[in-house]
Order: sequence, then structure tokens, then C-alpha cells
Amino acid sequence: MLPEEILAKLSEAVAEGDEDASLELVNEAIAAGIEPLKILNDGAGKGMDVVSEQYNNGEAFLPELVLAGDAMSRVIEVIFANMSQEEAAKSKQGVVVIGQAKGDVHDIGKNVVAALLAVNGFEVHDLGIDVEVKTFATKAQEVNADIVAVSTLLTTSLPYMSDIANYIRDTGNREKYNIIVGGGPVTPQFATDMGADGWSRNAFDCVELCKQLMARKTPGKGEIILIDSEAK
Amino acid sequence: MTGKELLLATYRHESVERPPWVPFAGVHAGKFKGYTATEILTDVDKLTECLLEVHRLYRPDGQPVVFDLQLEAEILGCDLMWADDNPPSVTSHPLADTDDIPERLVQPGDGRLPLVMEATRRLKEKVGEETAVMGLFCGPFTLASHLRGTKLFMDMKKNPEHVRQLMDYVTRNAFQMIDMYLAAGADVICPVDPLVSQISAKSFRDYLTEPYTRIFDYIRSKGVPSSFFVCGNALRNIEEMCKTNPDGISIDENIPMATAKEITDRYNIAIGGNIPLTTTMLFGNQQDNMKYVVDMVDSVDPRNLIISPGCDMPYDVPIENGIAVSEAARNISMYREMLKDYEASGDDYEVELPDYEHLPRPLIEAMTLDSAQCAACSYMWAAVQDAKAKYGDKIDAVEYKYSTREGIARSKKMGVKSLPSLYMNGKLYYASIIPSQEEFFAEIDKLLAEQK
Repeated sequence: MLPEEILAKLSEAVAEGDEDASLELVNEAIAAGIEPLKILNDGAGKGMDVVSEQYNNGEAFLPELVLAGDAMSRVIEVIFANMSQEEAAKSKQGVVVIGQAKGDVHDIGKNVVAALLAVNGFEVHDLGIDVEVKTFATKAQEVNADIVAVSTLLTTSLPYMSDIANYIRDTGNREKYNIIVGGGPVTPQFATDMGADGWSRNAFDCVELCKQLMARKTPGKGEIILIDSEAK
Repeated sequence: MTGKELLLATYRHESVERPPWVPFAGVHAGKFKGYTATEILTDVDKLTECLLEVHRLYRPDGQPVVFDLQLEAEILGCDLMWADDNPPSVTSHPLADTDDIPERLVQPGDGRLPLVMEATRRLKEKVGEETAVMGLFCGPFTLASHLRGTKLFMDMKKNPEHVRQLMDYVTRNAFQMIDMYLAAGADVICPVDPLVSQISAKSFRDYLTEPYTRIFDYIRSKGVPSSFFVCGNALRNIEEMCKTNPDGISIDENIPMATAKEITDRYNIAIGGNIPLTTTMLFGNQQDNMKYVVDMVDSVDPRNLIISPGCDMPYDVPIENGIAVSEAARNISMYREMLKDYEASGDDYEVELPDYEHLPRPLIEAMTLDSAQCAACSYMWAAVQDAKAKYGDKIDAVEYKYSTREGIARSKKMGVKSLPSLYMNGKLYYASIIPSQEEFFAEIDKLLAEQK
């Protein structure tokens, strides 16, 4: 197969969530001498773009998303194992600390966001569920995060989102990290009022949001970015 | 027609005098008596006490007993995390690492089922003549995800047969729940399946159509109506849900009511919803809630319509907002006019407030929607009349009704946030919650002593 054909088939396999075919094709691509970064961007990454578009158009749903994300994760492991340190650093989009706000254990949505960010080149540190306010700040400092991402499905955990932003501000770190929020009851208005840097409607929008924030490089200062592909 | 007759007629798709009102006061019921979510979901006396208070103030046409989708999961081996102001959440999935399908089904003596069924019986006994008692249980797809975790979604692509077996198992559990609720006297049976919003119409057809058709056929065979509750943006599945033949469907704010009702009307199925839980019920004011109801009713054919929150109400929804919805639902035309007056009036209607600092005697002002219409307002005004009967000329008492332009202008000028509320000497004492006589009279005695 020509390199272009391998990458096209890899994209297709990831989009279909076919883990076995994805692994076979990524190994074939490496054996064919295709640059790991090219495999990531022009092959597997394009497959995730396809799923993203399908999700936003209502053609793909949670099962498709979970499956494609899983296939992409396996592909990434292979790609990174074949990358030089320099290449790996070059492909890194940013560092994200993510977790479910205190009082909330609903993590399906947060897990999907974490997986999508990881497969899109972000270094993701997942703090899990029911995370204390200070833990977000401590971890962000420890890993030198670019983005602190907080999710909740419960209205009663909304105040903890504000507490996280306030704590980071009060400890003099607000301009170090972009703070983004999302989840069922989190409205754009709430995100704006609590002083977040960004809000997105769904997991794919969150990837775009993080990319835009990384390009803007003004944590804690710029106008909030709100991304809602479902509103289009 | 009683409220119950109204709701049951709506599920029979008859034209009725007004759309019925069904508040989903799950853990929110605890707020009425100051109990936590955990307290009311583990203590039948506290739960019943709160349900009756919800009934007194919200005057529902149909009332759920609990809105707890973890009830069955807990019995079947999921660990729960309990909270003061939310229903418990599932924290572990017993079938995550095994492909075995259990055989044991939930039984009447298991877990908290005796408590829930006893509360159903008590609610039925106390209010069952006038209000339909609704038995809610965890929908099979959501129960499957509680048991299997995220792996369920992988199975749907990689192991469809396993998903079908698991769905069959959770559906058999659903039949157990239906039988228990029917034995306890429930008038309407409702599977609640929020995860339906997360799958495609094709997946719905592959895995849910058959179980749900069986469930609704079974409920119908018992002579009781059913309603299929979903949360999230399940618009693409509304048609598939209709095809399973429930008597009603309930949606949240992620789906525009008019769009969904176009579909349900084609199948002649009742639809309920979809007052936004956070922006309107939790953070909005009474006008926002009344306006949502009026606008929603005006946007669709009112036949086959049920007014209800989008999903389980947050614990801390201000009670006055629930009252506002209740009142608007019961008298749409009056509140439509009132809202027009609210928007139009205020600046052009002059009211003079009393000189509160120099009153000859304590002045009690009851700010109500209208005590002739609104139950909570009538209790508040009755409390004032009791005080007037006891204290006679020692106090002054007056009701200002929000149904009049003067009442609206006065409320605006005084900065009244909740109706009904009681002001004494211009100061807010009680909002929404009617004071006990002892507490109320003690405050009046204090004022009398100060003004001597």
C-alpha cells in the first residue's frame, strides 16, 4: 500500500473504532517509514476529526465516541513509543489537569473529554471524581499545567467551580492557568460570571477550546471563549 | 375534575380544561422540612412528611414518590456515595469485569424498596383521591450502565449479544419494580432513562425497542398509564421512544417542547416537561418561572401536554418558584395577563408605602399571588387572619395580591422577591414557608412590646 493509502485506512479504522485494524495499520505505517507525527496528524487524528464531525451532526453518539477514543489511545501508545523525545515534545499541545468537581462522581463525560484531549496531543492529568478544591491547584502547580478543566453534572457542585477559580486567584496563580468548565448544568452565563477562561458544550468542543486557549496564551486575562457547535 | 382525573385523562389523550402539573420534587422535597436528601431517602416518616408538604404547597395533579435512579443499582451491588443535597450516586459497577449475567432480581424486601413502597402506600392513602401517585424506577438502559459501567458502550459495538442479555436481565428487574409499585397503589408508572440521550436511533432500535415495548405493554395490561422519562438531548430518539408505545413521554430543556410535541402528537402520546432546572427553576425568579410556563403552553396545542420540570428538581430550588409554576399551570390565562401587567406596570402606577418607622401599631402585609387562587398564599393569608382574630385592633393586617396592578407596583416598590411572603413593619419575616402559629405570634408579641 502507498503511504497515503495506509494513512487513509488508519483514519477510517480509528473513526470506526476498530482497535485491531488501527493497531495493524499504525504498525504498517511505521514499518513503511512514515514519520510518527505525520501518522498522528494525517492518519489517526483525521479519524478522530471524522468522529467529531459525526458527533456534532448527530450521526455518532457516546458508544461510537468511546470506541474511537479507545482505538486512538492504542494508536498513540505505538506512535509515542516510536517518537524521539524531541518529536514527542513537538507534538505536545499543552498540559491539562482535569477532574470532577467536589461532590460529584458522574464521570462519563469527564472521561470522554480527558480521552479526547489525550488523543489530540494534550498531556492529561486526570484527578478523577469528587476532587477537593485545593487538589486542582496543587496538581496544576506540580505538573506546570496550562489548563485546569473542571466538570460537573450537579448544580450543587457549581459553587466549587467558583471556589477553584477563586482559590487559584487568591494564591496569586490566576495568570498561570486557563480555567475551563463544563457539564450539564454549567451554562455559558455561569462560566462567564465565575471568571472562567473558557466553556464548551461537549467533549469535541472542549478540544477546540483548549487549542484556542493555548494559541491565545492569556490565562486569566482575555475574554471568555465559549464554544457550542450544537448551537449552529 | 380532580387533578388526578385531569392527569389520567391526559394520558388517555382526551381534551382537558388545563394541562396537568407534575412537580418532580425528588430530593427537593427534603427542603420543605429541612431534611437532607439522605434523610428522606432512608426514613419513611421523613419522606412522607415532606411529600405531604410538597403536596400542600405545590398542589400537584400527579406526584412522584421518589426520583432515585440508584435504588435498584444499590440492591444489585453498586456502591453509592450519599449526599445532603443530591440523590446518591453510583461509584462502582459490579459487572464491569465479568461477562456473567446475574440471575437474582430485586425483591420486595430488598434494600430501600420497603421504604419506598410504604411511602407510596401512605401518599396514596392521604392524597390518592385527588392526586395521581407516580412510581418512578430506573430505566433498564441506565440500570445496565450502573451495573456494567462505561464498558456497556464498548459492548454495544463489540459484543451486541452480551448487551441484549444484560438488557433482558435489567428489563426483568423493571417488571419487578412495576409489580411492586402497582401493589402499593401507584396510579402511573414511569421508567426514567437519562442515558437514552447518549445513543443513536439505531442503537435504540437494536437494544431498547424490544425491552421498552414489553415494559409498556405490560403496564398497559395492568390498566395503568405509563410515561417514559428521558434527560438530555434525546430529540433524535423521541420518535423511537414513541414507537415503544408509552402513554406519555417526559423531556428536559435540551429539547424544544414545540419540536418534540410535533413528533409525539403524530403518535397521539402525551408529553411533559420541560421547565429548565438550573437557569429558570434554581436561579430564576417567580416571574421567570411563570413566564416559561405561559410561553410553553402558548407555543403548542395544549392537548396531550403536561407541565413539569425538565427532570428531578435540584434540592435548593426556591419553594416560591415551584409555587409560581404551580399557580401559573393552574390558571394560565390569569397569569398571562399578570405577566403583561408586570412588564407594563410599576412606573406608571403610583403607590405610597407607609411610614414604617412611625406606625401606630404593628402592620402585617401579606404579599400574595392571590389568596383566592394560590394554595400557599391562602395558607399564608389564613395565618395572618388567625393573628388578626387573636390580636384584634392591636395590629393592622392587609393582603396585596399580585393579580392586581396595585399589588404588582407595590411588590416592585418594596423589592418583594418571593410570593407568598409576610412583611411586618416593612421588614420581610417569612418567604414561601408558612410560619407556625407559635413562632408567628411570638414575633408579633415582640413587635407589640417594642411599639408600646
